[in-house]
Amino acid sequence: MDLREEKVGTVTVVEVAGRVDSTTAPALGDRLTANLEAPKVHVVLDLGRLDYISSAGFRILLLAAKRADEAGSRFVLCSVAGKVRQLFDLGGFLDLFTIVGSRDEAIAVAG
Amino acid sequence: MLAISIANRAGELARVADLLDRFGAEHGLDSEVVADMQIALDEVLTNIGKYAHADNAAQQIDICLTVRENVLEAVIEDGGAPFDPLQVASPDLGAPLQQRRVGGIGIHFVRNLLDEVSYERTGDRNRLVLRKHLTK
Repeated sequence: MDLREEKVGTVTVVEVAGRVDSTTAPALGDRLTANLEAPKVHVVLDLGRLDYISSAGFRILLLAAKRADEAGSRFVLCSVAGKVRQLFDLGGFLDLFTIVGSRDEAIAVAG
Repeated sequence: MLAISIANRAGELARVADLLDRFGAEHGLDSEVVADMQIALDEVLTNIGKYAHADNAAQQIDICLTVRENVLEAVIEDGGAPFDPLQVASPDLGAPLQQRRVGGIGIHFVRNLLDEVSYERTGDRNRLVLRKHLTK
């Protein structure tokens, strides 16, 4: 798993590439938590370069979404396609998160 | 065939993932087939680690990967307490965000991503067989 981070105004864009499984999920969780703990920071998570995500990864995403909800921050996912989209669908997660098509759209929605 | 024995501790699952990647490349398997088996192994091994060996963190888990007759098969055996991960309750997929739990999602993935999954208790061993068909 590789994480890249970029700041666009009040939005932090985190791009995750590779695989999110029980081994790598904690590092993703730490990164999302660090951003969502800062006041008035919204987070976009770009999944365009993600190969797959296991339930350990979905646990992290759910925690991040709940945290954002409680803090009044926005947590927006984008570029959910292919295998990753299949997994979101299978787990019933498509309606649970705010998901938009592109990174630019996500920044517009989150900002 | 590839046989792997891992200790039931953190860090070992990364090694399994690397070996499965290499096994898939050696056998020319489709990346989607390998991804489905990667997810299934991650879910199953995490579950076994949590429930079957609560009393003995160093317990060994044996994994055997084979490709034959258009099927990728993983056999997972351990000597922990009887534990059938397939009996884990299905998740409530309709719960709203604040009530949503991830428990059960892993096994839900295993059942849906693979073509055949079976469990048996043989003597004092748990034996789980996971199969993914190579052609649709």
